[in-house]
Amino acid sequence: MSSIVPTLEWLEALGWTTAIRESPWDYPLLETAHVASVVAFAGLVIMMDLRLIGVAFMHAPLAQIQRRLFSWQMAGFVPSMATGVLLFFVDPLRFYGNVFFWVKLVLLALAGLNALTFHLKTYRMAERWDEHPQAMGRARRAGVVSLLFWSATIVSGRLIAYNWFK
Amino acid sequence: MFLAFFEWCDGLAMSQAYRQSLYLFALTQSLHLVAVTTFVGAILIGDLRLLGWGPVGESRARIARSAQRILLWAGLAVLVTGIPQFTTHALTYQRSWLFVFKMCLLAAALLFTATVRRRVAIADEGGLPSWVPRAVGAVSLALWMGVTVSGRLITYYG
Repeated sequence: MSSIVPTLEWLEALGWTTAIRESPWDYPLLETAHVASVVAFAGLVIMMDLRLIGVAFMHAPLAQIQRRLFSWQMAGFVPSMATGVLLFFVDPLRFYGNVFFWVKLVLLALAGLNALTFHLKTYRMAERWDEHPQAMGRARRAGVVSLLFWSATIVSGRLIAYNWFK
Repeated sequence: MFLAFFEWCDGLAMSQAYRQSLYLFALTQSLHLVAVTTFVGAILIGDLRLLGWGPVGESRARIARSAQRILLWAGLAVLVTGIPQFTTHALTYQRSWLFVFKMCLLAAALLFTATVRRRVAIADEGGLPSWVPRAVGAVSLALWMGVTVSGRLITYYG
């Protein structure tokens, strides 16, 4: 793992990453854009999760609401990933040494895996969700898991500001 | 006049406990962000519908009514997690123009959501010109995104 450190040092010393890191505006605006896009993306994912679990938007057919929200979730996801990668490039050594950053990455991967499984397996039964109890149970489980993973991702992301375990 | 209030907040036992704990403030801040995300999600789904996007298969009123329950619970969680953050650093916020700006924007957003946005969302869909819900959705989106962005910027420029 430590062989990656010289690469991160090189990345941190680049002209443009140094300029962003030291600018009084660039880094704060980049981080704010990251937070705003994460909130928009995860907010809509949570709405879908609440529908899957069965606590909100129950009048709307599951398949329809998922279809309608997906592109908007992606509209939040793409800028959140782009700004997240940029934030890492700008301050790589700080993130590398932060345990919450790694926890966030693992949770992000697990949340992504859950979403992928949901789309490849459970979503294929979308048309039967509303009348088929077994499909409904799977959808509900996917909703609970997604809610837990994304909430934990947000918590660990916020905790990156606090490096308790150096 | 306000200074006495800020000093009282700063001196609360809860504020002192938060200042002395290594973890309490950070954990509250993290839960606050989860609550804000849920709240904004419920705003966003309603605003998208008002703009004529998102879940257009459902009526504006149904989406608004369902989202309202989430708004109330998430709003409560935002408040419960936000108050100790405020009282812990009350004297810092007292000098922060961005904090004042965020609070004014928050008051405007809450007022707009509880009055104009609510009325338009539950109004008969055929009874309003199409630009009205779109305009209301756009204003709501701008107000709440403004609250989120200014809240984050307090860390840097507050």
